[in-house]
Amino acid sequence: MDMLLIGLCVAVCGVAFVALAFVAAMHSESWNSPAQPELPLVKAVAPARFFSDRAPVPRAVPPLQVPIEVLLLQIENHVRLEQAAAESFLAFPSQALLHSKTTSPFVN
Amino acid sequence: MTHELLNGLSSVEAEQVLKLGTKLIVPCGVSLFRLGDPADRLFLTERGRIKLTLPMRVRGREEDVFVEERSPGQTVGWSALIPPYRFTLAATAALFEAEVIALPREALLQYFAANPAAGYKIALNLAVVIGHRLQLFQTMWLREMQRTVEVRSA
Repeated sequence: MDMLLIGLCVAVCGVAFVALAFVAAMHSESWNSPAQPELPLVKAVAPARFFSDRAPVPRAVPPLQVPIEVLLLQIENHVRLEQAAAESFLAFPSQALLHSKTTSPFVN
Repeated sequence: MTHELLNGLSSVEAEQVLKLGTKLIVPCGVSLFRLGDPADRLFLTERGRIKLTLPMRVRGREEDVFVEERSPGQTVGWSALIPPYRFTLAATAALFEAEVIALPREALLQYFAANPAAGYKIALNLAVVIGHRLQLFQTMWLREMQRTVEVRSA
């Protein structure tokens, strides 16, 4: 009889423990899920290019359109630089001075 | 003030030529002459700067694009002495007001006829001014052509 009672107690305790554990697990799940922080999206990993012959193709960047006043100033600056280069050639005519480079953004 | 057009003239001759003209004040940004205007006067720059421009289409708009700038002592508008007597550039006072001496073509030609020695010197000075412009723009044109060829053949 004693053994039966002990076995019954152990069984009841076991069931109670399992039930408590189940409830606790359900509670923590339902409590945590709304506050789950959104994980940042992981960028797609570029394929490895080790020992690859192909250079990456740079993405075409559309040129920024400068205001027309700035463009006209750039043209004026270009003309002034070209005139200075031409004057240098006329002072000391040579093949090198005839085609000397300037810093004008129009030719660089 | 020494004017390139009057180089080699005696002070009396230079004074006589300058007396043929009238002084003009050109406010900043105001046009001295426009492209295609009849060229009946030649200008000697006394003060300020005269900006020479040509029209160019920039982004679909007609814009005056800088070509050259003339400083005190330099000559502007030699088309007044070269047929067909039309200005081939536009001229405005740049940055500040400018002062010029306007010499009428008719008065100059009469003076040259009466004073051939002075007229000869002025004609030579004018040839230097025109020749320099020609050499300068010939060089600039060749530089642009060279770049065009490089781009086309690249």
